[in-house]
Amino acid sequence: MSLLKLRSLQVSIGPVKAVRDVSLSLEAGECRALVGESGCGKSVTAMTLLGLMPNAAKISAEEWWFAGRDMTQIKEREWRQLQGNQIAMIFQNPMTALDPTQTIGAQIAEPLRIHKGLSRREAKMRAIALLERLAIANPAQRAEQYPFEFSGGMLQRAMIAMAVVCEPELLIADEPTTALDVTVQAEVLSLLQEMRESSGTAMLFITHDLGVVAEIADSVSVMYAGQTVESGSLHDVFSREAHPYTQALKRAVPSLENPKPLEAIAGTPPDLRQPPSGCGFAARCSKRMAICEESPPLMSCGEDHLARCWLWHKDHPERWREAEAVSLLGGKL
Amino acid sequence: MLSFIARRLLSGVITIWFIATATFFAMHAVPGDPLTQEKAMSPAVRAQLEARYGLDKPLFEQYRLFMSNMLHGDFGISFTQENRRVNDIISKHFPISATLGIAAVLIALVGGVAAGSVAAYCRNRWPDRLVMVAVIAAISVPGFVIAGLAQLVIVAMNNAAGKTLLPVAGWGSVSQIWVPALVLGLGTMAYLSRIMRASMLEVLSADYNIAAKAKGVHGWRLFWHHQLRNAVLPVVTELGPTIAAITTGGFVVELIFAIPGLGRYFVQAVQQLDYTVIMGTTVFYGAFLVLVVVLVDISYGLIDPRIRLHRGRA
Repeated sequence: MSLLKLRSLQVSIGPVKAVRDVSLSLEAGECRALVGESGCGKSVTAMTLLGLMPNAAKISAEEWWFAGRDMTQIKEREWRQLQGNQIAMIFQNPMTALDPTQTIGAQIAEPLRIHKGLSRREAKMRAIALLERLAIANPAQRAEQYPFEFSGGMLQRAMIAMAVVCEPELLIADEPTTALDVTVQAEVLSLLQEMRESSGTAMLFITHDLGVVAEIADSVSVMYAGQTVESGSLHDVFSREAHPYTQALKRAVPSLENPKPLEAIAGTPPDLRQPPSGCGFAARCSKRMAICEESPPLMSCGEDHLARCWLWHKDHPERWREAEAVSLLGGKL
Repeated sequence: MLSFIARRLLSGVITIWFIATATFFAMHAVPGDPLTQEKAMSPAVRAQLEARYGLDKPLFEQYRLFMSNMLHGDFGISFTQENRRVNDIISKHFPISATLGIAAVLIALVGGVAAGSVAAYCRNRWPDRLVMVAVIAAISVPGFVIAGLAQLVIVAMNNAAGKTLLPVAGWGSVSQIWVPALVLGLGTMAYLSRIMRASMLEVLSADYNIAAKAKGVHGWRLFWHHQLRNAVLPVVTELGPTIAAITTGGFVVELIFAIPGLGRYFVQAVQQLDYTVIMGTTVFYGAFLVLVVVLVDISYGLIDPRIRLHRGRA
């Protein structure tokens, strides 16, 4: 059974339908990347999964399971036991996500004090041990320092420590490397990978950096205008991209092996206050058809590979040809 | 930290010197002197009195004498209250003003922080609106009106109860502190709650607040550990001038509630041109203000680690 199963999540904040139809699933220990451009609903999805949306937000889902619990029925109290304990989050900007008035050690120890009932002393010892594992020199001394005394890379490590200290089953990383230098990025990524492998934590890695995705993810979900438009294994989504949006994204990323002019995607994403009734990408799509006026469901285009595009409908003539090509290719490989 | 305090104290000394000098010459520039009274005084008596108080000396000589005495901690003898030393007036009446002032500051601080936090938590809902309306009222209605109203309310309460629940005025018991202190601190409380509301709103939308919730921190723990300490900083900044203003500005409230504080001597001295009392109280209030500001700066460092200067660091 999946650790997380989410079918057709919808979140609206006032007039904005920030998340219109997101379906995700994660197995224990899996790392799934959630990619998409700014404003497509990635972060709202993350906040919703962590129960951090304000009360004013309207949230509904056809199905939402986490660790055997029906999350559509969950109470505020139960949320508090999950947060920081079974689900934890690494935030985008470590410079602002740590409390400036508390020591690093106290902030890392806090989840242990709340969820595991450890004494101040024990919790602090665990925090120091964790800082040491995260390759911070003089961890005991560092734990007594405040965020303003840490560099960006060290702050991000402190934040990772804060998130993994209770060994959560699901770790949500919301663009954990975008605020960092490229050299520090690589370091943080390998640390995350290490922590994940040693504790078997599943990870939802939110990013718009496809290079990072290729490095860390097992599987990928692509979001566009509040919907998951494609999901599959890393290999499926990167080499056999099925949705025209994913295909366009790939043409917009420079490649060393095959250098050619980059193609920007013409147009802009739809206004989520008045989302289109049909396919969200239709207005920018080069393969637009008459049926794109209607909203497409997720359709299968391979084993565990889904795309929200009419091109993959069973009655579409090209579907047949592509499916054949894929199987031929698969046969050759 | 020590050099920081030393520097602040040094600049405080310069400030006090400046206050003393400016007050001294401004006071002497006012027409008339302490000996000018409705009843005419014979020139001989006047000359004798002038000699006794040193008023016959040139102004700069008087200034030099005053400064030298002040450095020895002596403000001289009052002109209008016979043979009463200014030091005695201050040491007898300032503690009363200070007690009232500290009570007022505490009420203003606790009330302001609480009201501001409630308003921020309930942004744009009725508790917020209620607090904001009360704030405008408390800021715009003058203290003497509120003092009078407060006395009316006490009288009505006592009448209704048929016994004295709260004394209307006077000084000497704990029950006589709270009403004047509340009246004195009300304007400040309103002002502080506005600042608190704004800074709490900022904290509530800060990343670290969301991150703390993501760790499972909720309720009072979230408030005490993460929100209050960050949100209270701008309030603490205001505290220095506020404490000074309340402890030295209680004159009207002291008068209405018949509290024998220093304020009344300060005002009387100015009206009667009682040179020594004017100088004494002004310099004393100035020194007090400087001290409070330094103390607040130190407390700021205790709350915000970024301002603290660290051990073994230049």
